[in-house]
Amino acid sequence: METYFLEDNNIIEFYARVAKEYELYVPTRAPSSLKVKCEHSFILPAQDYLLKKFKDIDKKEIVFNGYRPIEPARSFFTRPKEEICEYFGRNENPPAEKPAAICGLKNCDLFSLKIQDFIFLGGDEPDRFYKARRENALIIAGDCPAFKESCFCRAFDIDPFVTEGFDFNLAPITGGYIIDVASDKARKLMPSLKSLLSSASSSQIGARELNRESVVKHLDEHLSYHKIPKKETLQKIVLGGYNSQIWTDEMRTCVECGGCIFMCDTCHCFLLYDEPNSKRKRVWDGCLYKNFMKVAGGANPLRMRYMRLRNRYLKKFDFFISNIGFQACCGCGRCIDVCPGRIDIRRILRRLHEEHKGAQNVPAH
Amino acid sequence: MYQPIEAIIEDVKQETSSIKTFILRPKSNFSFQTGQFIELTVPGLGEAPFTPSSDPAIKDRLDVTIMNVGTVTSALHGMGKGLKVGIRGPFGKGYPLDNFKGKDVLIVGGGVGLAPLRSLLYSLFSDINKFNKVVLRYGARTPDDIVYKELIPEWAKKDKVDIATTVDMGNPSWTGNVGLVTTILKEAPVDLNNAAVIVCGPPIMMKFVTLKLIELGFKPADIYLSMEKNMSCGLGKCGHCRIGKYHACKDGPVFSYEQLKDIYDIWD
Repeated sequence: METYFLEDNNIIEFYARVAKEYELYVPTRAPSSLKVKCEHSFILPAQDYLLKKFKDIDKKEIVFNGYRPIEPARSFFTRPKEEICEYFGRNENPPAEKPAAICGLKNCDLFSLKIQDFIFLGGDEPDRFYKARRENALIIAGDCPAFKESCFCRAFDIDPFVTEGFDFNLAPITGGYIIDVASDKARKLMPSLKSLLSSASSSQIGARELNRESVVKHLDEHLSYHKIPKKETLQKIVLGGYNSQIWTDEMRTCVECGGCIFMCDTCHCFLLYDEPNSKRKRVWDGCLYKNFMKVAGGANPLRMRYMRLRNRYLKKFDFFISNIGFQACCGCGRCIDVCPGRIDIRRILRRLHEEHKGAQNVPAH
Repeated sequence: MYQPIEAIIEDVKQETSSIKTFILRPKSNFSFQTGQFIELTVPGLGEAPFTPSSDPAIKDRLDVTIMNVGTVTSALHGMGKGLKVGIRGPFGKGYPLDNFKGKDVLIVGGGVGLAPLRSLLYSLFSDINKFNKVVLRYGARTPDDIVYKELIPEWAKKDKVDIATTVDMGNPSWTGNVGLVTTILKEAPVDLNNAAVIVCGPPIMMKFVTLKLIELGFKPADIYLSMEKNMSCGLGKCGHCRIGKYHACKDGPVFSYEQLKDIYDIWD
């Protein structure tokens, strides 16, 4: 991996050169005047970031996002709704698209792409649409110099800076960015980018390390309040809490909007449906919807609301841990931000953990 | 992978008042292993999963026995000869025939659940010397609900094959056994210690048959279940058919009870 320094005033030109080869998405601010005072008395930003097409926007809108954007990373690889094929007609091939370069993804997003890859690239047959987009995409990741109230990546030992799964990484330091060039895809662009870059000094790299340590320290302090159980206990507490009252309790404020499903970085479920003109479409789907698992005979394993919430946790913390060894939750907190019922995954996991510990402390008869 | 191939409905056979067998001729040859399932498309409406009921050795034709219960199946029941449908697959893992070799094969079916088992029976019959015997215990709600009425007596005449049928409720012309299929399992001439049991039927029947088999002393690893879930993509991607750590479409639909017994609420 090669490391360079990019001056602040060269960043737009850097984007412009990448955009010659790729459909580039860059972070912009979704303004909010709100601040969140968290329980630990940190004053945390409430603003959000949206990724927009570089070619469509006024370049003044472009910012460096302090933390993950609103949209989940997967939305660049599977669309919320898209046509898959027309049966007995045109072949099923992914549409010809200019490959995407996605700037502004964070380590939580890259962690989640491992889940998406397992589903869409693995198994007996990879998904052609996902595969084409994923293989062609250029990922320009970034360090997180800040965090939102809902961020909890560190609870699962995921750092707010990337270590793998990216092509470029940008880390802001005084006067510019430290750029890591991590893949052959990124190196291929270097001839056109090199004139914008200088070598990174050891003090500049040292500054990046200090920033990283500082964010980790503050985030850990913020998370200490939430008492989120360690990732090693997740499977045990979710299975152990199968019959818990917590699922029913927590679902009291659910309005079944599906926001948590659609904003989730690791959710992957979809529905195939046909239109009268024999076009087959695919839309994102999820297990918080009542008929998700219903069969024609009428049986519905998710007929009650608590079953649906529990199913979501079983999928994330049992299915995936059994199959790939890690949980399908990256701590991005998007489900917390989107939920109008204030259903908070951090609280649910904490309650399951506390109940589990409580049950173990009961002396045997 | 999500695009079906074309098949023409060559014939339709009425099995019961709510069950029909569709004989399909795919545009190109279509192979499957017994127990694997297909997604059947009604053009412009959607698709649903079915396990073919025909002999897997036949490559240019495919029988699917379908009960009229939902949107796709009721549309199919309104379709006749010459119309076009789509098929996609085959998907999943079928019956592990190799595990049945040298054993007493006990097959327990309920209602339209005999459909996938018919394809299994054909596979067993074509290689009958590899198996000790084939014992079929079949239950239906009433005599009118029995599928393959004219085939069952034919199968019963075969060597090494033992068949008994029961109905939950008889009628004046029914002279056979009356009672749930669980009541005729005990007398089945099967060696507990060298058996493979295959169960297919409605979830409630599968549940009580499995519990009965365990009570009789069959081992969980020797019991194979065809799980009815809402399979859609067939490739373990769309998420609709999760059972514990499995996707029924990819890891099943045939599971041993050993694989499933520690998972909560599998019969729901």
